[in-house]
Amino acid sequence: MPKLQKMLELSDSGYKDLKKATFACTLTNFSTILPVWALTLFITELIQPLLGGELSITKLWLLFAAAVVGTFLNYLCQRNDYEKCYVVAYTQAGHTRISVAEHIRRLPMSVFNSKDLSELTTNVMGDVASSEHVMSHIIPELIANIISITVICILLAIYDWRMAAAIFVTVPVAFGIIILSRKIYSGSSKKHAAIKLAASERVQEYIEGIKVIRACNMDGERFSALEKTLREMMRLAINMEVGVGVFVTGAQAILQCGIGLTALVGATLLTGGKIEFVPFMLFLILAVKIYAPVISVLTLLPELFYFQIGIKRMRDLLAIEPMTGDEEKEPDGFDIVCDNVEFSYNKDASNTEDPTISSLSVTIPAGSLTALVGPSGSGKSTVSRLIARFWDTDAGTITIGGVDVKTLDPEHLMSYMSFVFQDVVLFGDTILNNIRIGNMDATDEQVLAAAKSARCDDFVNRLPDGYNTLLGENGATLSGGERQRISIARALLKDAPIILLDEATASLDPENEASIQQAISTLIEGKTVLVIAHRLRTIAGADNIIVLDKGRVAEQGKHDELISKGGLYNKLYSLQSESLGWSVGK
Amino acid sequence: MTQTKSETTQAKTPTPAQASSSRQPKAAKSGTARLLELAMTKKALMCGSMVLSVIAAIISFAPHLSIYFIIREVIKVLPNVTNADAGYIIRWGWIAFGGALGNILIYFAALMLSHLAAFGTLYRLKVDFASHLARVPLGFHVIIGSGRLRKITDENIEKIEGFIAHQLPDLAAAIAAPVMLFVILYAVDWRFGLATTVGIIVGLLIYASMMSSIDAKNGMVRYQQSLDEMNNATVEYVRGISVVKVFNQTVYSFRRLHESIKNYTTWVIKYTISMKTSYSAALAIVQHVFLFIMPVAILVGMRVDFTDAAAVAQFASTVLFYLIISQAAGGVLIKVIYASGMMMQITNNVDAMDAILSEPELSIAVNPKTVKEHDVVFDAVTFSYDKDKEVEALSDVSFTAKQGEVTALVGPSGGGKSTIAHLAPRFFDATGGAVRIGGADVREIDPHTLMDKVSFVFQDVYLFKQSVMDNIRMGDPTASDERVYEAARDAQCHEFIEKLPDGYQTIIGTKGIHLSGGEKQRLAIARAIVKDAPIVVLDEATAFSDPENEHLIQKAFERLMKNKTVIMIAHRLSTVIGADRIIVIDGGRVVQTGTHSSLLAQSGRYADMWNVYTQTSTWKMSTIKGGAQNA
Repeated sequence: MPKLQKMLELSDSGYKDLKKATFACTLTNFSTILPVWALTLFITELIQPLLGGELSITKLWLLFAAAVVGTFLNYLCQRNDYEKCYVVAYTQAGHTRISVAEHIRRLPMSVFNSKDLSELTTNVMGDVASSEHVMSHIIPELIANIISITVICILLAIYDWRMAAAIFVTVPVAFGIIILSRKIYSGSSKKHAAIKLAASERVQEYIEGIKVIRACNMDGERFSALEKTLREMMRLAINMEVGVGVFVTGAQAILQCGIGLTALVGATLLTGGKIEFVPFMLFLILAVKIYAPVISVLTLLPELFYFQIGIKRMRDLLAIEPMTGDEEKEPDGFDIVCDNVEFSYNKDASNTEDPTISSLSVTIPAGSLTALVGPSGSGKSTVSRLIARFWDTDAGTITIGGVDVKTLDPEHLMSYMSFVFQDVVLFGDTILNNIRIGNMDATDEQVLAAAKSARCDDFVNRLPDGYNTLLGENGATLSGGERQRISIARALLKDAPIILLDEATASLDPENEASIQQAISTLIEGKTVLVIAHRLRTIAGADNIIVLDKGRVAEQGKHDELISKGGLYNKLYSLQSESLGWSVGK
Repeated sequence: MTQTKSETTQAKTPTPAQASSSRQPKAAKSGTARLLELAMTKKALMCGSMVLSVIAAIISFAPHLSIYFIIREVIKVLPNVTNADAGYIIRWGWIAFGGALGNILIYFAALMLSHLAAFGTLYRLKVDFASHLARVPLGFHVIIGSGRLRKITDENIEKIEGFIAHQLPDLAAAIAAPVMLFVILYAVDWRFGLATTVGIIVGLLIYASMMSSIDAKNGMVRYQQSLDEMNNATVEYVRGISVVKVFNQTVYSFRRLHESIKNYTTWVIKYTISMKTSYSAALAIVQHVFLFIMPVAILVGMRVDFTDAAAVAQFASTVLFYLIISQAAGGVLIKVIYASGMMMQITNNVDAMDAILSEPELSIAVNPKTVKEHDVVFDAVTFSYDKDKEVEALSDVSFTAKQGEVTALVGPSGGGKSTIAHLAPRFFDATGGAVRIGGADVREIDPHTLMDKVSFVFQDVYLFKQSVMDNIRMGDPTASDERVYEAARDAQCHEFIEKLPDGYQTIIGTKGIHLSGGEKQRLAIARAIVKDAPIVVLDEATAFSDPENEHLIQKAFERLMKNKTVIMIAHRLSTVIGADRIIVIDGGRVVQTGTHSSLLAQSGRYADMWNVYTQTSTWKMSTIKGGAQNA
C-alpha cells in the first residue's frame, strides 16, 4: 500500500485520509446489504403461503422497518463517504499544489531555462487536478468495490457455490481483457496527454503573440500551428476514446453473459430439484444488480491508468534536485574571484560546441566598478549569472570573500546581491508592494524613500491611486523605463553589498534616461558593482573593463589603455560611435 | 460609438457604425438552452446518438422484465419447482442476457457518435474562440490575462466534452425511458405504480432542491472564481520565479499563490459539502425505491385471500415485478442525477467562455473600401482605454503621414506615441474622429486588407515555437524560400541564422537555442520585409535592445523603410534628425509639428527635450559619490 502513497505523491496524513475515505466507501457498499437483505426476507415471506407456510403481516411490517432503518444507515454512510472522499481529495490537492510550488521555487534556474512556462503551470494545476480526481473519485471507489465484490462473492459462494460460480465466472475474464489491453490503449493515452500539453502551449503562444497573429492575418484557423494541433488533438481524443471504449465495452459485454448463464444454470438446477426456489430467485435478482460495482471497477481502471501519466509527470518534476548549500556561512568581504571557470548550457555528452565560458579567471575587487564587455553571445550575462549561482560551474571555482559560491545556499547567497536586469517581472499587486519585494520588512516610509531615490515619483504620482495603484498581469500598463525604476527601487531597498547590473537598462526608456541614470548612480554608490555593458561610453570610467570573446577573456584594463591597444574593445567602441549618429532619412 | 463625429464629416458615406455588421457570435442564450445550442453543432451525430441512447435505455429494462417472467413462471408451479418449464426459463434467461448485451452495445454506439460530435464541437469552439481573440480590441487581453484565456480553452471548453459525449445522450434516455417505465408501471397495477412514482419523485425533488438553492449557485460561482484566481496566480508565480529568487522573496509570491490555493480549497470544499445532505439523501432514496413499494405491498396483501393459491401467486408476482423494475428505474435516475450535476458545472464553464465571446469584436465593413493611396491621416482622433471614457489617452490628434515619407512621433513616455501607433493597424478603434488610409476610414476597410497594408515592428517581438523559416514567412505565407532568405539578408539576420544548429529549420524556443534581443528584433524586421506592406509602423526602441548590434538593426530598418509610408515612434532624438516630419506628442495631444531644424529654432517642448538628450548621452557610471559625470 505505501506504493500507492508514493504513486500519488501523498503526504502521510493524506495517505491516512485516503485510507479513511476508502474505508468509508467500503462501509457504504456494505450498508446496502441490510435493506437488500430485509427485502429478500420480505419477498420470501410473501411467498410463504405458496410453500405451505404462514404469512405474518407483523413480520412484513418489521422487515419494512428494517429496510427503512437500513436505508437510513446507508444514507448516513453515503454522507460520510461523500464528505471523506471530497474533503480529503481537495485538502490533499491543496497541499500537493503548495508543495509543488514550494519545490519549484527551490529549483535551480537551469530548470526554468529548459521547461517552459506552460509546462510548469500544467504541472502544478493540471496534474494536481488529475490526482485530485484520482483520489476523490477513483481510488476509494475502486478499492471499496473490489473489497465488497470479493466479500459478496465469498458470501454467495457459501450460500450456493454453483449459482455464485455462474454469476462470477465472467468477472475474471472481463478483468483480464482490461488488464491485457492496457498496453494497447496506454499508448494512445500517452499521445493524447502529450498533444494536450502541446495544444496548451500553442494557445498560450497564440494569446501572447496576438499582435503578430493579427498583423499576419493568421487569426483562428489561419494560424496553422494551432489549428493543426487542435485537429490532431481531436483525432487522438477520438482514437483514445474508441480504443478504451472498445475494450471496456467488450469486457462489460462478456461480464453480462453472466446473467444468461445464471438463468441457464439456475433453470437446470431448479428443474432438477437441486436448488430451492428462494435462493434461485435471489441469485436471479442479484445477477441483474451485482455487476454494477464490477462495471464501475472496469471503467475506473483505464481512467486510473490515464491519470497516472499526469501524476508521473508531476513526480518527475518533484524528483529534480533543488540546489542546496550552507545557509549560515558568512563571506569575508566581497571580493569576487573567478578561477579557471568553465561552463556550458548544453551538458549532453554529444555536444561538440565550444563551452559558453572557458578558462575564465578574473577578480572583481570589493567596492570597485567592473564592466563586462563583448559582442552578444560572448558570455557576459552567463558570467554574472554564474556568480549569482543561477547555475553551477562545470569546472573551476567562483568565490565571494573567499567562500566558494557552490557551498552557499542559493537564497543565502542572494541576500548579498541585487540585480538590475532588463526584464522586470511585476506582480498583480500595488506598486508599493511590488517595490517592497526588495525587503519585506521595510516600513512604508522606507519603501517610499527608495521609490523616490529611484525616481519613481514622477510616474507614480500621475497614477490614479499613486503607490497604491494595482498593477495588472505582469504590470503590462507600465513602460519599460517605469518598470526599470521599480526594479531599481527594489534593489535600493534591498541594499545588498554586491550589485549585478545590466547597463542596457539605462537606455530602455530614452525619454526618461536622465531619471534612470540618476537612479542607477544612487544605487551603485559605494558598492561592489559588476556591469554587463552594451553602450561602451557609459562605462568608460570603470575601474576595470573585462572584454570577453567567445567565453574567454580577450583583454582587460581601463578604457584608455584598451583604446590605445587597438584590440576588440577599440573596434566595438568605434562601431558604436557610428551607430549613435544614425538617423532616418540620412 | 463613433457615429456623431462621422455623421457630420462624412455625410455622403455611411457611418462606420451603419456600414458595419457586428461579428458578435451568438451567445445570447444562457444556461441549458445555450448548452443545447453548443451540443447541436454536430446535429446529425448528436441526434443519432440520442436515438440510440433511448433505444439502449428501453432495452435495459429487458433483463429486469425477463427475470420477472422467470420468477412468475416458477411461482405458478410452487411449491413443486421441478414442474417449472425449463425451456421457458432458459429462453427468458437468454433474453435477459440479450437485453443486457444489446443495452451495452447500442449504448456504446451512441457514445461513439456523441464523442465524435463532442470532439468535433470542441475543436470548432476552440478555433472560434481563438478567432474571436484576434478580433477584439487589444487592450482586452491585457485586462483579462493570458492565464484566464488559456484556462478557457484548456479546461472550460474541454469540460463541454463531458456534457455532449455523456450527459446529453443520457439525458435523452432519461427522458424517454421514464415514459416507457410509466407505461409499464401503471399497466400492471396502478397502486404499486403510484408508490414507485412517489419514490422516484421524492428522490428527484430532494435533488432538485439542492441544485436550485441560491447557496449552491453562489457557491458554484465563488468556486469558479477562486479557481480562476488560482490559475492566474500560478502563471504569475511561475513567471516571476527568477525575480523572487533574486530578492529572497520566494515567500512573497509564494504567499499569494498559497493564499489563492487555500482560498480555492476552502471554496471547493464548502461548495461540495453544501450538497452533502441532499446529494446523499437523493442517492439513498433513488437506490432504494422499493421502500415505497413495501408498505403498499403489505396494505394490498392484507386483503388477499391466502388460501387461494392462484391469488397469492398473482399477488406475489406483482410485488416482485415492482420490486425488480424499481431497481431499473433507480439506474436511469442516477444517470439523471449525474447529468444534471455535470450540467450545472458546465453551464458555469460555458458562461466563462461566453463572457469572453460576448466582448464586442471590432466591427467589419459591409461594403469594404479599397485602398490605393497610402497616406495615413489622423483626423481629430480621440481615444480612451477605459470604456467610461474618463481618461483620454489621446485627444484631438490630427496629423498626416505622407506616402514615402518618414513621420516620427516623439515625446515623453506615456504621452500617447504608442497608442497612436496601435491605432493605425486598428488594434483599437478610435473613440472619436477617424484614422484614414488613402482617404478610407480604417473601419471601412476589410480587416484582412488593412493588415496587408500595414506592417509593424514593435519592441515586444513575439516569435513562435516554429522554424526560423516559418517565423519569417508568417509575413507572407506565399513567399518562396528565396524571398525569405533575401529578407533575412536585408534584415541582417541571415548570418546568425546560418550559425544556428539547423539553420533556417531551427525551431525557436527549443532547448539550447538562445537568441539575443537584437537577433529577435531582426527576425521581426525580416518578417515585416517579407510582408512588404506599403505602410510601416515601427518602434525605434527596437534598435537599442542590443546596442552591440545596433548598427545591424539600423541597416535593417533602412531596408524596411525604403519607399514606404513610415510612422516611427522615436525615443532618441538623434535618430529623427533626418525625419520628414516630427510630431511632438505630450499628454495625448499634438504639441508641435515640424522638422528637426524648424523645431529646434522654436523654443518649446522639442528644444527642451533635445537639451536633456544631449546631456544624458554623455553619462558615465561611477561607484563614487557624485562621481557620475556628464562629461
